[in-house]
Amino acid sequence: MTRLLATFALLTALVGGPVWAAQPAAAQPPAATDEFVPVGDLPPEEQLPAAPLLVGAYAFMWVAVLVYVGMLWRRLGAVQRDLEALRRSQPR
Amino acid sequence: MLQRLVPFLLIATMVAFAVAPVLILRAPYESTMGLVQKIFYFHAPAGIVMFLAAFVCGINSARFLFRRSVRADHLALAAAELTVLLGTIVLVTGPLWARKAWGVWWTWDPRLTLSLLLWMMFGAYLLVRRYGGPGAEKLAAAVGIFGMCNVPFVYISVNVWRTLHPKTTVVPSLGPGLREPFWFCVVAFLLLFTLLLALRVRLAEQQAALDARYLELADRAPASAPGAVS
Repeated sequence: MTRLLATFALLTALVGGPVWAAQPAAAQPPAATDEFVPVGDLPPEEQLPAAPLLVGAYAFMWVAVLVYVGMLWRRLGAVQRDLEALRRSQPR
Repeated sequence: MLQRLVPFLLIATMVAFAVAPVLILRAPYESTMGLVQKIFYFHAPAGIVMFLAAFVCGINSARFLFRRSVRADHLALAAAELTVLLGTIVLVTGPLWARKAWGVWWTWDPRLTLSLLLWMMFGAYLLVRRYGGPGAEKLAAAVGIFGMCNVPFVYISVNVWRTLHPKTTVVPSLGPGLREPFWFCVVAFLLLFTLLLALRVRLAEQQAALDARYLELADRAPASAPGAVS
């Protein structure tokens, strides 16, 4: 069942990606500039601050690495416990 | 050898990642992108080390396929996981930069699309290893070799096709102030990669030892079981 679900997820990603990519782009490239506008005059949705993006990028990198290290630590611990339990249970 | 270096690597990596933010903060702002360009100091080194991880996986997959080296198989598996991890970092930090620099989170640009394809190939490697059943190591090794072959295309894509992504000439042309933190971060990511590779190989070796013990027990069980027919 798990294998079937994993295969389905993989196929969906492989087929769905190109189909999604083939959709016409919603946002057209911006037209050539014919006047300069002070940044303060831009609508709020276009005044995008850089700091949250920068902090978000660094935070994500740290979270990804720490989650991976945590998973590795847990798996190493579990395998070592199993090995120890087997060693103890086997008479020499 | 790699295992004996783990304590040194752990300390060196921690020091490097503690110093890196200081160097990045002190680096001058890039003239056109300003603050958001500082994502470059983690995004590009993660990409470079992702390429290295893909090569380690591909070369060791070939060694496993043609020489039946179990150690190479462990290295290939560890490197494939790290390619996916680093690829995830690259594919998430890139759009955060792009949103400010290009005005869009994602565009089907050759570099971005090929990077996503590379990430998916190594994701497929891990899926084959996890769910492929008996003989999955050999199938996965073939996927690993094809994944590695994709790396040169990702690298040259910015020079060959018209693209929004900065070209490969950006790195060699980095000026003083921008160059030092960048190369420092490359070294930090290399240390992190080597440390995680060593730990993941250790896990693969322990799992192999555990499997061998279970097989040994299964072989012994019928002979020692009461009433067993020999």
